[in-house]
Amino acid sequence: MAHQKSAQYDRVVRKQYRELMDRCKVNLDRMDSELPPPVEDFQDVLKDRGVSRRSFIKWTSIMTGALMLPPMFKPMVARAAEQFSRVPVVWLHMAECTGCSEALLRTSYPNIDDILLDTISLEYHETLMAAAGDQAEQCLEKALHDFPGKFVCVVEGAIPLAMGGKYLTLGPKGKTGLQLAREVTSKAAMTICIGSCSAFGNVQAAKPNPTGAVGVGQALGIETVNIAGCPPNPNNFVGTILHCLMFGGLPALDGLGRPVWAYGKRIHDYCERRPHYDAGEFVEEWGDDGAKKGWCLYKVGCKGPYTFANCGRIRFNDAISWPIMAGHGCIGCTEPNFWDTMAPLEKPIQDATIGGGEATVDHIAMGLTVATVAGIAAHAGATAWVHRDDKDTANKE
Amino acid sequence: MENIVPKKEWSVAIRYNHWIMAFSIFALIVTGFYIAFPFTLTQGETVNKFFMGNTRGVHVFFGVILLFLFVWRLYLAAFSRFHADWKDFFAWTDINNTVKQIKFYLLVSKEPPAHKYLYGPLQSLAYGGLLFLVLLICLTGLILMGAGYHAGWTALIYPVVKPFEIILGGLASVRYIHHVLTWAFVLFIIVHVYMAFWYDVIFKEGTVSSMISGVVFRKGDH
Repeated sequence: MAHQKSAQYDRVVRKQYRELMDRCKVNLDRMDSELPPPVEDFQDVLKDRGVSRRSFIKWTSIMTGALMLPPMFKPMVARAAEQFSRVPVVWLHMAECTGCSEALLRTSYPNIDDILLDTISLEYHETLMAAAGDQAEQCLEKALHDFPGKFVCVVEGAIPLAMGGKYLTLGPKGKTGLQLAREVTSKAAMTICIGSCSAFGNVQAAKPNPTGAVGVGQALGIETVNIAGCPPNPNNFVGTILHCLMFGGLPALDGLGRPVWAYGKRIHDYCERRPHYDAGEFVEEWGDDGAKKGWCLYKVGCKGPYTFANCGRIRFNDAISWPIMAGHGCIGCTEPNFWDTMAPLEKPIQDATIGGGEATVDHIAMGLTVATVAGIAAHAGATAWVHRDDKDTANKE
Repeated sequence: MENIVPKKEWSVAIRYNHWIMAFSIFALIVTGFYIAFPFTLTQGETVNKFFMGNTRGVHVFFGVILLFLFVWRLYLAAFSRFHADWKDFFAWTDINNTVKQIKFYLLVSKEPPAHKYLYGPLQSLAYGGLLFLVLLICLTGLILMGAGYHAGWTALIYPVVKPFEIILGGLASVRYIHHVLTWAFVLFIIVHVYMAFWYDVIFKEGTVSSMISGVVFRKGDH
């Protein structure tokens, strides 16, 4: 019975995946006919960079798994990767530190993600392009003119709204970030916010937020794909673009616009230190025995339980390590307003001080509890005095 | 002798609801404080220990019980065959009586407020407030539970409560609110227990035992 059931289940699932596969093929064929041809052959690029065919196949396996697709999609991922450079991209920099670009482009040695990002057809990228001044402006205008409704707009950085957005002015014409973002995103096929700044405002939007910085989605009132993180993992950006190439649409997004395949589960759910949490084994202070044994960082302020991201599974720097593996707790950088809601970063969440003072909510509540008990004692004494006659009358009866 | 009349005040359902809720809240506060301020178990192998896991299990168990007790209590307030007391939660709207009760509690006046409803004016505020607190702490608790347990019924409830997580500003804020609400329960319990005994001493009607027997002993006609 159980066997029959699982066989039937298998048939249903296989059918779903076959349909998905058909959709994927149709979409890739459509792309072939619609988008400009690749600038250079991707396999040649890989060879030039010293990446073997074998490494490339391994990478397709990883990305297929990361996108939560079965192995039969590996050839599709490979095909989508070859199409990567056909997507015209306009990359905008708003109020930010360029850390996301840095994180995406710099590694110890080139891996496939980096090469993909290098080959991407960047029509405009303020940090990377050779053009400057009016020429740069012309690049942007040309991209908007050549690929209206076809290019992907990637935004890095929050948009200040205070003083009519004048806290951020860019380019030879002195446009505000708000104007520029509105102009470009209105013509884009989709807007991808890379990093927590463009997604939710991040540190610029932390209290007291004098520049009135907010995320792109909030500033412009548009739907964006938010690749949150400070900086985000390149895999999450590449995977999202691959998904769009393969299926011609956005991956499933959560309530905050983050792709569910990458931000569907918490850091805590896939943490390698999780067994120590459940066992009740905690690092009490930095460098103690527990820290040496790799115990849970909950008591030294790990925000993994409140943070949706896949850092623990995909890791950083060619999957060498990630913050919790390195011995520091998660700071929750993929969550909105994390500078405010996750503070203090190296203490548990209830140790946040209130109103700029030293007191935490526990101090205040303990004070209230003591005051209540003292008040009760005083009230009981006063009652015994005020109602002393009541007892006499009761005795008389 | 004054005429003392036993009068049934609390139905069996209300009494069960009260004591199971009291025990659940007590268990939730104890386990909740461990989850917020865990101590490290240094002895033994990790593989043999599951203290935090078990504590969270107990916490979630009683949390769900509390949710069902809350729903049951609302049902009783609306449809109890003995005495549907939803109107009594608005006793505080009689402002004169409320002022009278505050004076009586502050020992300024020795004249007790009129006993028009099942609850006194301040009682009605406190109990209504408690039910509101239970609602909030159950909601935040369900969000935290749903985020942590990905299968079964907990997985079913999570999509329902997820929008509240986003409104409240992420799991971190939800967790903080959950933590602060716990202290409100601690303060409520201290005052509630004291006031129950205080009533017993002042009126000598058996207020404390009434929550077990269901019977208060009214003097005369009041």
